[in-house]
Formats: sequence, structure tokens, C-alpha cells
Amino acid sequence: MSPSTSFENLEAIARNLLEGLNVLLDSEQVKCSIFLDGPMIEALYNVAKPLMFGKIQNAIRNGALEFLGGGYYDPMLPLFPEDLQMMQLELHRDYLKKVLGAEPQGYFNSSLVWEPGMADVLERSSFDYALVTEAAVQDALGRSTPVSGWFTLEDRGALIRIVPVSEVLSKAIAEDNLSWRSIAEAYCRDGKSAIALLDIPSEPSEIVDFFGRFVDFVETNEVQTRTVGFAVDQLETCGSISFLVSAGRRLGLPSTARTCRELLIRRPEINLHHKTFLNLYRRGRCVLSGKKWLEFCRSLLPVMSPLYFRDMFNRSGMRSMMVRKRSNRLLLAASQLLDDLTGFSGLRVDVCDFLLRGKKILFCENPESSYLLDYRFGGALRALNYKGAKINLVNSWRDDGEPSFAFLDCLLPNVDFTPVKLEQMLYDRKHLLADPYDYRILRTDSGTEIMLDEEQGFANEGRKALFRIKKLFTFLGDAAKFTVSYAIDNLAYVNTKGYFGTILELGLLSRGDVNKVLIDGKNVKWNMVEPLLYPDGKSLEIRDEKDSCVFRMAFDRTTSIFVGAIFGATSSAAPQAFQGIRVFPFWNAPFNVLDRKTFKISVSVTKR
Amino acid sequence: MRADLIDIQVEDRGEEVEISLYGVLGEYQLSAVREKLEMLVRGPGVFFFVNLQNARFTTDDYRGLFLEILNLVKQQKATLILIFDSEELHAYFERYRNIFEIYRSREEYRKSGLSKQVHLVGLHYEKRSISLSPGFAVFVALFLIGWAVTLFVIVVGQGREISDKQAQITVLESQKARYIREIDRLESAIGPMRKLGVVQDTTLLSSFGAIQDWVSYLEYLEKNRREK
Repeated sequence: MSPSTSFENLEAIARNLLEGLNVLLDSEQVKCSIFLDGPMIEALYNVAKPLMFGKIQNAIRNGALEFLGGGYYDPMLPLFPEDLQMMQLELHRDYLKKVLGAEPQGYFNSSLVWEPGMADVLERSSFDYALVTEAAVQDALGRSTPVSGWFTLEDRGALIRIVPVSEVLSKAIAEDNLSWRSIAEAYCRDGKSAIALLDIPSEPSEIVDFFGRFVDFVETNEVQTRTVGFAVDQLETCGSISFLVSAGRRLGLPSTARTCRELLIRRPEINLHHKTFLNLYRRGRCVLSGKKWLEFCRSLLPVMSPLYFRDMFNRSGMRSMMVRKRSNRLLLAASQLLDDLTGFSGLRVDVCDFLLRGKKILFCENPESSYLLDYRFGGALRALNYKGAKINLVNSWRDDGEPSFAFLDCLLPNVDFTPVKLEQMLYDRKHLLADPYDYRILRTDSGTEIMLDEEQGFANEGRKALFRIKKLFTFLGDAAKFTVSYAIDNLAYVNTKGYFGTILELGLLSRGDVNKVLIDGKNVKWNMVEPLLYPDGKSLEIRDEKDSCVFRMAFDRTTSIFVGAIFGATSSAAPQAFQGIRVFPFWNAPFNVLDRKTFKISVSVTKR
Repeated sequence: MRADLIDIQVEDRGEEVEISLYGVLGEYQLSAVREKLEMLVRGPGVFFFVNLQNARFTTDDYRGLFLEILNLVKQQKATLILIFDSEELHAYFERYRNIFEIYRSREEYRKSGLSKQVHLVGLHYEKRSISLSPGFAVFVALFLIGWAVTLFVIVVGQGREISDKQAQITVLESQKARYIREIDRLESAIGPMRKLGVVQDTTLLSSFGAIQDWVSYLEYLEKNRREK
């Protein structure tokens, strides 16, 4: 079994879980293993009465109940540095020992991911066996028939017992499929036991019922149940496995995925979360030691929760804007702690392969904000973090798997367009000026400037043009404010007419936040559905009061401003989930031969 | 400009600028490192810390590069400090260890001497002048202003006290003159009456001033002797 905690409503879940466990222990016929992550055990500890804990401890002593170990926040261990893996495992083990007096023998991870190298970590954390998906063991053995029992896996001198979990049987039992018995028979030949995995529902109201149905299932069908540890100890080994990889389950990965790392490749939002985490970890490791380092690591542990690595809807994964905002909050809280522990003030510019994709990127940070500037993709911002409200403003979601950007420039051709047509063009990201730039870091008394300078080509229906664009970001050392200045020279000996503008895909506002967009101080009454085109504005303000964040843009001249919603698919496949707001300030820019145009945008983010 | 050959980090804290280099730096990266360092040290700043802890040099040319950077920094009347704590890097810079200031960390540099601490808070000596950082200058100015204000308050306070005392003396002197005049007037008024014996002259009264006749005087003497 595994919990499905989403770290919400933990107290209600804990109360119902205790009641459910009571039902389970009263039956005396059911024996099972259970895994609860750290926050869940903490919640149980806070709400349980002493007698109930005594009852659970008795059941553990009698062998009716086994508590499995794992990470404190149930992370997918292969994605993280080894010392944090160990910290997660040790913290969970210590807490389990302290609260229930139980020493876990088996390792469990609700995502059931496995990668080479884990055997060593698990052996060092004193685990005897680990549960993995049956499909992964089948792959390793080159078999397609049902696999049960346990296998040994040796890796770099470390040994661990691998116990496959039958997904088919688990599904049949969970769905009350009457064919479960015939499915189980295939696993239970030669006195072996089949391991079935049932997920405890995350809705508090369904938990007691879940345990009731489970007890009913065992008693009605007269099924002999055991804990996993007991089954493993009683059975002989079924052989050895040389190489094991499991992409896991409930991650939103297609069945063809071989490893959980594909999440990082498929979804840029998850990759950004992961790489921001790694960046913080590396920085912390370089500058902290002793108690400060441990304190910082503790702030990183919740960031490792599987919730932030799932490509799933409805608050179960990163497709939910709420989950993305929560991931930002945790990361920025850890970043602020690191700033405090190191006494960071001023402004830092880091030229590094932040996203670990083999491409350098500029990471600028001050105590109030941080920016990820991709100079190789049109000098666009990949992240715009405001630490005051702990939010990344470039946090929308695109169903096509492309990352969101801010200040992604484009030159639209000189045609008539309606707001709807313009919205489609912006979604398709046509006519982008996104060639790689060269950059210079200029330190001045007023702040730090990033000067991007390169020729950018433009083509539309056979007509071609060439511009030299100087894009200058000026960051201040002590505020969430910056300016973006453009100087565009037409290098071609032809006149080019068009609309120059820059796209911002912001993860601001949430469903129902109507009338939160102001242009020139006036509420433009945007309904969050239909795109809006405002002809002449000099300032734009988006007030996300739920997240205590107000985003302001001021222009040096009258500007046409497009505002539209970004919708994504929901679990029912209709593109109805509000995923952010698209802003496109633009100017009519007829470029005569060797003409130069300049524009300037001032941006500030505040709490109110 | 091929800036993507190197990992570089700049941390700008006003007077202090820390530039960190990462990775294996060889011939191929030399021009990029030169370009970046020259560009970064040209801005404002008094202390340029170059953190090489996570860098590894595979060519000797970087020593020359750092000498050039040192010259550049000196021209700007600033200081270049190399930060690392590895035997390999110590060996690499061994020939120039008297030229470069090498410390294990920024903290160690801060604690390395009083003069440097004074330097760090913003006081810099030159041949003909002393320059102060804005923060330190504000502190010194506030200190001097505070000092002057305190002196002024003390002087004003004392002046007021002296003038008070002088006023008191003047009042007392005028009072004394008035009393003397009054006594003279009274004496002159009672002079004729004293001559007539109507008024007893109490000014001459002493321990025996009340003795009016010889008998009493002799009794007084007798009594005095006995007591002795």
C-alpha cells in the first residue's frame, strides 16, 4: 500500500487513516505492509491517541502489520544527489523508529522508480529488500510471463533483494474485477506469494471505506495475506538480475518510457524545477558546512516530493498551476534561506549550463529577485522569480511541451489582424526573433547590464529582412526591477513594415480572477477568456492578489497591448484549464533603409 | 565573442566583486577567460576577488593572464585577490606568490590585518590623498559632525553658566553696597542718641561687653580665674 498525500488537509487524512487502520487491525485476518511518508506519519503522531499507537505497535510486533521505509518526502531517489537520498532515507527511518518503534526492512517508493546505483544507497541505509514494478523485472529477465517471488541484484558490491509488484493483479483488486483470482493463480504457483499494491485514496472521506472494502475482500474471498517482509523471508530466491531500470508509475509518462528521467526531457517545467533544485544544492554545497549545510538541506527536502515531478492534472502533478506555484514557493524559500545563511547581498550573474542541456545560460540574482536569461534563444527570460511573493512569473504551461518565456521578441508582418488571429499567431510563436545573441556583462554604478547584440533575420512570404538588434537588460542590485531597452537597425537595403513586440507568458492569476488587468491605471475589465487588444497604453498592471504579486510594465511611448489567456488540456481532454496570461506589447515599426528604432520597457514586481 | 566556453560567476557587492571561474581551463578557453575578466574588472569596485577554487589550469598561460589582470586592476587603484585552497593551484602560482595576494577565502582576507580591515570598510591611501568609500565617508562625516555638535553644546552650556554666575556676583555686590549704605545711614541716625546714652551700642558687645561697672568686671575676672 502507499499513501496518496498531496500535503493538503493532512490532519483530516490522518484522522481517517487512523480509523481505517483500526478497521484493518480489528479484522485480525488481514496482514499487510504499509508505507506512509514523513509528513503523514507526523500528522498521525499529532492526532493519534496513545492507545491507538499501542495497538499499531502490537500489530507490528505480532507480524500483522509491517511498515515499509523510504524517503521522508517519498522522492524518486535517482533524480537527486546521493547525500540528499541518504538524508531522506535516514530521516524517514528515524521518524518511524521514534514514533512507532519500527525498524523498516523494505524500501518502498510510491512511484516505483528504479535506476542502477540505488542498491548501494539502500544497502547503506540498512534495507533488505525493495519493491519495483513487475514490468521492470520482466524487462530485466527478458520474460513476458508473470513474475513473482524475489530476486537478488548486485551492484558495485552492494546487494539488495528485488520484489516485483504485480500491476495487473493490483489493478484487478482495486477495480473489484472478479477475474482477480485467475490472475493471482499465475503468480502463486510453487507456493509463491503475489505482491499487490493498493493506493490509499487522498480524499479523507474515502479512506475508511477503502480499508473496509479491503478487509471485506480478504474475509469474503478467504485470501491468505502476509506482510511483504514475511513473504520475502519465507521464500527462496528466484534468481539474479543484472540490470534493472524502472520508469515507475503514476508519473504521466507513456508506457514506452524507460526511465523517470524522461519527465525532465518531456516537460520543461519539471526540468526547470529539477535544475533549479540542483543549482541551489550545488551552490549550497560550495559555500555551507556543518549545521548551516544541514539546515539548508532540510529546506531542500520537500522540493524533492514526487508531486513536482509528475506530468499530471488536478493537483496531482505539474500540469496544475497550483502545484507549480507551490514548487516555486519551496524553491524560492530555500533560495532565500541560502541568501540568509551566506549573507548574500548585491547582484550575482552566473554564466553556466543551468538546465544541464549543454548550453550556457545567464542566471542573474539579487536578494529580491532572480532571472534566467537564455541568450541563445532570442535573449528571452526563462524564469522571472520574485522572492517577495515566492513566485516565478514565467510559470505558464504549454501543451505542446515547449517552455514558457518572457521577452521573447517577434516581428509580426504588416497585415490586418483581429485579437483572435493575433492570439493564434502568438501561440504558434511565428515570426520570432530568436536567433542566438552574443552577450556582454557590463558592471556600472547603477547596476549590472546584460548587453545582447546580434543580427536577427526576418522572413515573411518570400520577403526577407535583416536587423541588428541590441537588447539591453539593466538589473538593479536591490529590487525586483529591471529595464529592457531595444535598439533595432535595419541592415537591409529594403523597407520593411511590421509590428515589433515581445511575448510574455506569465503564470499569474487563477481561474475567477477577472478584472485584474489595468492599463494606464484603468481597469480594462478583461474576462480571462477572450483576448483583448488595447490600442494606446503607456503602462500595464496585472494584480495577482491571491499570490501577493503585482506585475507592472511601463513603456517609453504609446504601445499597443495584447492580453490573452493561456489554456491547457484538462483530464477530460478539453482545453479549459487556465494556465496563465499572455501579454504582448507591440509597436508599429516601419523600418526604412538603414533606419533605427528604439524602445524601452521598465518592469517592476511588488507585493501590492 | 565565444563566451560559452567557460562557466563564470560574478557576485557584485558594491566595493567587493567576486569573480568565480569553474572547470578545466586550457588554451582553448584562454581568450574567452581574458575577455570576460577584462570586461568584468573594468566596472566599479575596489576589491576584486577571483575565486579559482573550482578551476583547473592545463596551460601556464593563465599566469600571464592574471598578471595582466593584476596590472589592469592596479591601474584602477583597486586590489586583486586570488581565492583558492588547493595544493595544485598553490603550486601553479608558486612563482608569483609574492606578486599576487592569495587567500583561502574572502573571510580570511578580511581577517588578515587591521590595515586591510580598514581598507575593507572603505579607507584607501594613495600617495597624495586618502580616498574614502561612500559608506565610510558618510560614517566619518557623521562622526565629525557629532563631535563638533557635542563641543558646541558644551561651550554653550559653560558660557551660560558663567554668565549666570557673573549675574549672581553683580547682584551680590550691589546688595553689599546697599547694605553698607544702609548701615552708614543707620549709624548716622543713631549717633546722637548713642552719645546721649539712650541707645546702647551693641556693636561693642563681646563676652564682657555687657559689664557696665567695675564691680561686675572684677567679679567676672574672679570667676574666670577660678574656672581655669
